[in-house]
Amino acid sequence: MAILKKITGSFHMALLLVCSTVFLSAQTSVTREYQVKAAFIFNFTQFVEWPENSFSGNQSPLIIGVLGQNPFGSFLEETVLGEKMNGHPLIVKYYNNVEEVKSCHILFVNLPETNKEEEVNAALKGRSILTVSDAPGFMQAGGMIRFFTKNNKIQFQINLEATKYANLVISSKLLRLAEIFTSGKK
Amino acid sequence: MDTHAIEILIVEDSMDDANLTIRSLKKNNIANNLYHVKDGAEALDFIFAQGNYSSRSKSANPKLILLDLKMPKVNGVEVLEKIKGNPATKTIPVVILTSSQEDPDIKRCYELGANSYVTKPVEFEGFVKAVKELGFYWMILNKAL
Amino acid sequence: MLFKDLPIQKKLMGVIILISGIVLLVTCAAFFTYEVFTFRQTTTRQLSTLGEIIATNSTAALVFDDQKNANEILAALKAERHITLAGLYNKEGKLFAQYPAATLPGAFPPLPGKEGYRFENSYLLGFQPVTQGGKHLGTLYLKSDMNAMYERLWLYSGITVLVIIVSFLLAYVLSKALQKRISIPILSLAETAKAISDRQDYSVRATKLSNDELGALTDALNQMLTQIQKQNLEITSFNQQLEQKVTERTNELQLANKELESFTYSVSHDLRAPLRGINSYTKILEEDYVDKLDNDGKKIIEVILRSSKRMGELIDDLLAFSRLGRKEVTRNDIHMDALVKGVTDDFMLISVKNNIEINIQPLLPAVGDQALVKQVWVNLISNAIKYAGKKTKTLIEIGSYPKENRNVYYVKDNGVGFDMKYYAKLFGVFQRLHSNEEFEGTGVGLAITHRIIQKHHGEVWAESKLNEGATFYFSLQTI
Repeated sequence: MAILKKITGSFHMALLLVCSTVFLSAQTSVTREYQVKAAFIFNFTQFVEWPENSFSGNQSPLIIGVLGQNPFGSFLEETVLGEKMNGHPLIVKYYNNVEEVKSCHILFVNLPETNKEEEVNAALKGRSILTVSDAPGFMQAGGMIRFFTKNNKIQFQINLEATKYANLVISSKLLRLAEIFTSGKK
Repeated sequence: MDTHAIEILIVEDSMDDANLTIRSLKKNNIANNLYHVKDGAEALDFIFAQGNYSSRSKSANPKLILLDLKMPKVNGVEVLEKIKGNPATKTIPVVILTSSQEDPDIKRCYELGANSYVTKPVEFEGFVKAVKELGFYWMILNKAL
Repeated sequence: MLFKDLPIQKKLMGVIILISGIVLLVTCAAFFTYEVFTFRQTTTRQLSTLGEIIATNSTAALVFDDQKNANEILAALKAERHITLAGLYNKEGKLFAQYPAATLPGAFPPLPGKEGYRFENSYLLGFQPVTQGGKHLGTLYLKSDMNAMYERLWLYSGITVLVIIVSFLLAYVLSKALQKRISIPILSLAETAKAISDRQDYSVRATKLSNDELGALTDALNQMLTQIQKQNLEITSFNQQLEQKVTERTNELQLANKELESFTYSVSHDLRAPLRGINSYTKILEEDYVDKLDNDGKKIIEVILRSSKRMGELIDDLLAFSRLGRKEVTRNDIHMDALVKGVTDDFMLISVKNNIEINIQPLLPAVGDQALVKQVWVNLISNAIKYAGKKTKTLIEIGSYPKENRNVYYVKDNGVGFDMKYYAKLFGVFQRLHSNEEFEGTGVGLAITHRIIQKHHGEVWAESKLNEGATFYFSLQTI
């Protein structure tokens, strides 16, 4: 079953990757855009290192949290189903407010209210949680990774100061693909 | 003896042999002018008109010399040498008298100019043969005289 | 020209150059092979390392579908001059990024191939899987030309050729110089040997140039020469002694011969003179005084004449016999048939007997002195006639037969023969088996026969029985 799932997943993913440009240019299917983003989020787990203490054990899961509205539907869950990162199984959790966020490794922030991100980031400050969002002011609000669309392609920004502060190590390979964000206030 | 008209001079040391020769020739009537000398030295004296024969006329050479080889003092070969070595006498015919035809001196004598030889004893037949070789037919024709 | 006929100098040089050449070539070939092998290995390892780096670097680009970034990563290969093609396939096997950017996609394999590197048509190419966390993300294709290797190999070839040329020159110069150390002593030795054999001068000595085997050879040669010289000296002095002895003996012999000759002459002259007297004067007595002698006196005169005649014969035979000793034997082919015919014809003419029959078989030819051999026939045939005896008919057979390497001739008669017990005296001088009253003779004839055949290195022998005839044989060399 797992193999079948994986194959199906891979197939979806492949479809996504191959056709991403087409999907994105349409700008019609939000779901397709988030399918790519879901895959991106999953792929971040491959290029980011979390400190050992962020896991309770060797087998404890790597938790991908979605704060606020879930734009992925079930797609994110399907993407990570059965996947592992260094032996840690990936699971998805959904949060309504930041207080609910306990043990978490990647948090996709999707709050409808603006200016709420600063609060969230402030609340998570010091914890090894990779915060990801596609909100325009996310980086300024102290977020770590922000998706943006350029030339009909989904790209992302990374705030190295924030990740460093959160004890997260971002692979240089990931950095090669990313636009590095610098806050300017130090 | 008239030594001026000698026709045959016999040079022979052995009286016996000389007498045999003279007798043989006389018996055949050719001995009118025979003269006998007893050795080589006397022969040379006679031929060259010297010594005992110095009174002899040099120009009247003997017509023939019968020359024995084995002689004391001056031997026949030496006499022959002298005769044939002198222009005045070298034309005189010389017949060698020898004991044997095997005599090695015969060859030497022919080299020196001897004209013939006769084996002793000198019988008339041998003499005639020798003289014929010389072409002296007159001597034989003369024998009746 | 065969190698074995070359001068030793060229041989040595040839061997040195050949060996150094072979060693050099083998070394160069080994070096070359090693270089090619190493270089291929190194190149493969380098390319694989490069592939790994690129693959690792391109994981994110693949994962995040960043074609531009992937192309950028591949573009970094520009620094590697020998990389001619690079392609990144995504995990579906589709070409995702390529280097150089302008290349037509047709230049790439349509699908990624088996993992690993291989050489193909002077290119090194290979596929490197791109993985992240054990996940297959795609495949990297790299193609590298081997120009670097060829450049290097060309360089090596150049160096090798240069090294070979220099080495050969060096080997030539060195061998030319070094071979002299070996060849000069040999050549000098050979020259010395040649000089010795050419001039026959054994006083020459070879100069020793070294203490090795050639030195030993030189010593041996010199020793040999010393021995030859010594032996030559011995031989020469021996020869001289021998020659001197021969000269001495020859002189002695000549002297002896001369003495013999003068002795013979003396005998001839001195014995004849008194005999002549006896004979001639007895004849005169017989001629001139016969009327003064009675019958006894006449008989005595006869005996004197007969005796003196016989003595004359003895002297003649003795001289003839001794003359034989000095006479040189000539060697000519003798036609026996003609010779014997002549002799027998003469005998038939002068013979007083008329009851003689001579039967001559065909005779073999021989080699010898015709006059002497004729004398032999005369002696034997006259003996056969003389000793015929009282037989009514005298039969004489003459013949010949080959025996071993000689021809044997015989004269067989049916006469009185002789007793074989006196055989030893048969060929002796003055030896007679019959009295003079019976058969006249001096006893010299057979001695002369014996002497003549002896001088021809032949043999003479006889067989007889008293009153039953005799056969006399003699052998001569064949033609």
